[in-house]
Order: sequence, then C-alpha cells, then structure tokens
Amino acid sequence: MPVTVTRTSWDALRSLPTTARPVVDPADVEVPEGYELEPVLVGLSFPCGMGFAPDGSLFLLEGGSTWPTRPYMRARILRLDTATGAMDEIASEVLGGPRGVTWRDGTLYVTVKGGRHAHVDRIDPSTGERTTIVDGLPSGGWHEPSDPVFGPDGLLYFGNGSVSQNGVCLPAGFTVDLAKHPTACDVPGQDVTLTGNNVWSRNPTAPFPYLAETGPFKPFGRRAEKGEVIRGHLKCSSGLWRCHPDGSGLELLAWGLRNPYGLAFSEQGELYASDNDLEEKGERAIADDPDRVWHIRNARTPHGSVSTPDWYGFPDMCADGLPVDHESHRPAKGKAAERLIADPPPWAGPATYLEKPHTCFCHMEFCRSDAFGHRRALFVASFGTYAPLNTPDPNALTRGFCITKVDVDSGSGEAFLRNRRPGPASAHPGSGGIERPVDCKFHPDGRSLYLLDFGVTAVAPTHVVAYARTGVLWRLTRI
Amino acid sequence: MTDGPLLLELDEETWADQLDRASAWLGNLLMSQEKFRTYAEDAAGKIEEPHIREYLREIAGRAAEHEEQARGLFLVLGREPTAGRSTAGAVLAKGAELVADVVGRSGGARGNWRDVRQLLLANQDAIGAFAVAEQLGYALGLPELADPCFRLVAEKTKDQLLIQEYMLEMGPMAILLGLDA
Repeated sequence: MPVTVTRTSWDALRSLPTTARPVVDPADVEVPEGYELEPVLVGLSFPCGMGFAPDGSLFLLEGGSTWPTRPYMRARILRLDTATGAMDEIASEVLGGPRGVTWRDGTLYVTVKGGRHAHVDRIDPSTGERTTIVDGLPSGGWHEPSDPVFGPDGLLYFGNGSVSQNGVCLPAGFTVDLAKHPTACDVPGQDVTLTGNNVWSRNPTAPFPYLAETGPFKPFGRRAEKGEVIRGHLKCSSGLWRCHPDGSGLELLAWGLRNPYGLAFSEQGELYASDNDLEEKGERAIADDPDRVWHIRNARTPHGSVSTPDWYGFPDMCADGLPVDHESHRPAKGKAAERLIADPPPWAGPATYLEKPHTCFCHMEFCRSDAFGHRRALFVASFGTYAPLNTPDPNALTRGFCITKVDVDSGSGEAFLRNRRPGPASAHPGSGGIERPVDCKFHPDGRSLYLLDFGVTAVAPTHVVAYARTGVLWRLTRI
Repeated sequence: MTDGPLLLELDEETWADQLDRASAWLGNLLMSQEKFRTYAEDAAGKIEEPHIREYLREIAGRAAEHEEQARGLFLVLGREPTAGRSTAGAVLAKGAELVADVVGRSGGARGNWRDVRQLLLANQDAIGAFAVAEQLGYALGLPELADPCFRLVAEKTKDQLLIQEYMLEMGPMAILLGLDA
C-alpha cells in the first residue's frame, strides 16, 4: 500500500492534529553538550524497532499492536531514505507485528511476535518476498521477540520473551491475552521439576467470577502437581538462540530471560541482552526486581556445542540474585510469589548492569564510532514505567523515558538523553519532548544516533492505553 | 534532511479522510444507542414488577444521557451529527420489538420478558459501537474521542450485567409458566 509522507515546517509540529501528542519540540529535551536533537519523522503508529542498511536506509517497524493488543494498526515495515526523506512500504507482517530488524547482505531479518507463535522472517527488500526461517516459538502472551543480530561468527542471534507476565498465566495480562490465546503458556528450555505451588485467581473467562487455579508452564486454569516434571524444549519461551541465516542449525543458548527485547554485540564480540523486571501486581507479585543487562556467555562457545542452555532466573529469580520469595521482594500490591521450580538450574548471573525497577529497557546498540563519541558504550532505549499500574511505588512513576548509556565493563550507567521535566512529555501539557524510547540505533555515518519513540501510552492505576500516530523518529547528532 | 521534519499520513487531506470515515461510524453508533434508548423506555413501561421497572427506567435515563454524549463525539472530529438518525433509531427499536414478539412466541414464551431479552441484544450492539469508537480514538491519537467512549462502555457494561441478570431470572417463569414480570 502507498505511504503518504509530506515535508512540513518546524512550526507545524506545534499544532499536530493528534491531540494525544499535539506538540513535538526538541527544546524540551535535555541533550548532552555538543549534540543536537531533531525530529525526523512524526506520525508513526506503535513503532517497535528499526535497523539501518549500510547505505543509510532505515527500516522502521510499526508494531501492529500494543499492550493490550488493540487497536490493531497495520504491521508495516517501512523504508526511510535518511538522505532524501523518501519513504516506502517494504512489506507488512501478520498479527502481533514485527519487533526487531537487522540487515545483512541485502536481506532483512525480522523477528515477529505473531499471534500464537513468534517467528523469524527473512525479507527481500526489493520484492517484499517473505520467508519464515524459524517458526513455532511460544507466544500469544505478554513478552516480545528480541532484536535479531548477527554475531562475528556470521550466525543470527535472537531471543523470545516469556508468555506469562510473572511466571504463571493470569488475568493480570489484561485478560486480552486469555481471550485471544486461552491455551498459551510458557515452555521451559530444559527439564524442570515443579514445587506444586499454584496460583489462585479470578477467572474472567467464566460466566461468573469463579476462581481458577493455575500452575507454571500451564495454560490458564490448569494446576501443577508437586514433583511434576515439565520437559524442556528447543523452542521454549524466555529463550535465546542462534542459527544459520537460513534458519538451520537452531541452537538454544539460554533461557529464563523474561523479556530479552534488546540484543547487541560489543566490538569485542560479546553478546548482551536487555531484560525487564518482574511486576509488582496481581496474584504472583514481586517487588523491586531490577531491570538489567545480561552477558550471554554461551555466545562465545562454538556453534553446536551447547548441550545445556544457561538459565537466567525466570520465573523464580530476581536479577539481584535473590529468589522471588525473598523478604526484599515482598510486594506492597498483590499476592506474594512462591517458588515454582523445585530443582532450579545453576543461575547464569550476576547481571552485567542493574537498573532501577520499571525502567523498561528495550532495544539497544553499542557505539562503534569515535565521530559520535562514547565509543564502546552501550546505548539502551528506556521505554519508561507502567507505574502506577505495575507497582504502587511512587518513586517508579518517572523511571525510564530516556536513553541510558551503560559501561558494560564497570557495570555503571547514566541517563544520556531525557526530557527536561521528568516522565514522558504527555505528563506535562504543552511539552513536546520524548514519550517512550523503544529503540536507538547508530546511522552508518557514525555521527548520529537515531531514537525511535513509541508514542503516547497513558497509564492509570487500573489500565493502560496507547495512541497510534503519535510515534516519532528523532536524530541526535554530534555537532 | 535539513528541510524540515516529515509527517507520516498526518497531512490535511489524509487526516480529513480519516475523520470522515470515523464520523460515519459515529453515525452508526448514534443509531444503535437511539435504538437501545427507545427500546429501554418502551420496555420499562411494560414491566409490572416494581424493582425491575425502576431499574429499567434508570437504565433508560442513562441511555438518554449516553445518547447526548454520543452526539457530542461528532464535535471532537469537527463534524455534525447526521440528521434523521433519531427517526431511524426509533424505527429500529419498533422493529426489534416485533422481532422480540416473533422470537418469544416461537420459543414458547409470552409477556414482557421478550422485551428484556431484546433489550439485552440492543445494548450489546450499542456497547460494541461505543467500544469501536473508543478504538478509533486510539487509532487517531484522539483522547477526546477515546476517553468518553471508555467511560460509556464501562457504564453500559454495568447496565448490561443488570439486564442480563433479570433476563436470566425471568426466563424460566416466562417460558415454563407464561408469566409476565
């Protein structure tokens, strides 16, 4: 389908027709000295990821869905010529939409959340022809497939988040998930024995609010038994894999990654994954689990040599190395969690970097350019909190909504770019700053960092909604 | 790119076309709500049981308020409510009453329970229309459209639960004994 793009004036960005985001103004953003921020493209619908080709073409993914998964907007893959502003549609994806993209030898590789199953597609950008190279990854629930990235070994690496929000499929997932995919559930990456701890919750799918009992790695409403063994699968949830560019040789490197949305190789060839914290709400609530960046050490091993994947803790361990039922993770909102796995594998932590809970780390990339500065630093898009929905902690209300710069060697980090006033721009009527950074990628010229801003997501104590046509592509350039 | 930012499908022509399409849906929404309101007023007048009658009158009153709020949604889009819809809503309500009569008789039921059952269906249709308008508000980046629809769907859903409960309570009496409520 055709794409209508028009050049406009800077003044026009002060009176946009989308009243959810009527103003886009870089003056409201605090930018590091020596850098300049400008909006490039305004009006994206639920953009979830992007990737550059070496010629400066930027491939943008419009999500096709949000949280909850409506309204459905077309899940498009758009190509923007960053030199001329020309734009066209390369392809569209299925329900659930694309989440991550990378370019390699003239071909696009796209991870897709899908409906019931997540998958990885290979797309010819000249024809739009699509080939699914990996399919059948458990999905239909809460979390996302990751960035696809190529390693120094020429293999394709990608992840897929958990189906459940906090380890058990519960109505906390806005019910929409249960309505659309009533049999979806997590799948472990290796055999696990269950404790028999189940979770009682209301059953919104029943005519009356009967209670239901649900166990881990089970569809909603099915209980687990003590000592029950759940078989691990190559195609698990919360996993991270590598394969050849045609999808062959699929190998599971890790599991227990709750939402490994961002994946990036350092210049030294080390693989890192961003991951989001467990939430403090619902019938299995966990407080103060940090957001984090993991080092995926199995990426260093020869292809085909991983007999047992590393386990990074989901659903029973927090990123600080403490179990979910530890006193420090007792929730102020919701029912405290119990452990689900009786024989947990060895933990693959500690994390490379811990961030405050509910920052919501998303896509990320290492800087490889002296022209931009901060070479070897990891830049992470921090989507921003869903508080007060996912935690009652008032300190969490303004966390995220920034680009975070992480030093993976020292394990330190700081906000690199954020609004002058805390929180998203929409929290301050009249402000035109950033809303929710979901991706950041460096232009091949090495001078600019592009920032993909998902757009307005309004969060209340009881629900969350998102507005299409409010997404913005920004560019941060060293001057 | 130094010539200014790009707008994706937010140019005046594309935007006006989108608002026209959304406005057309609001016309359907208004008609559905008018039908429900008319039906609720008629049904309340036929019920003899005092508690149910009072509840239905309250629902009819809220339906009238919701109808007025539905007319206001057009203004969010810079459009006027389509003329003649009130007549269409009333005609549809009368048509539904006839359907209720036929369905009720063929199912062996008699009396005013048939109207409560049809009222349930009419409200379901109107709830769906508001819920779609809410989604249009999100799709267009317009909280002025989405927010009131969100509230209206919530209020109408509460009314729907109440109508459903009385429809279920009254059903066996109407079908097995042929008694009015």
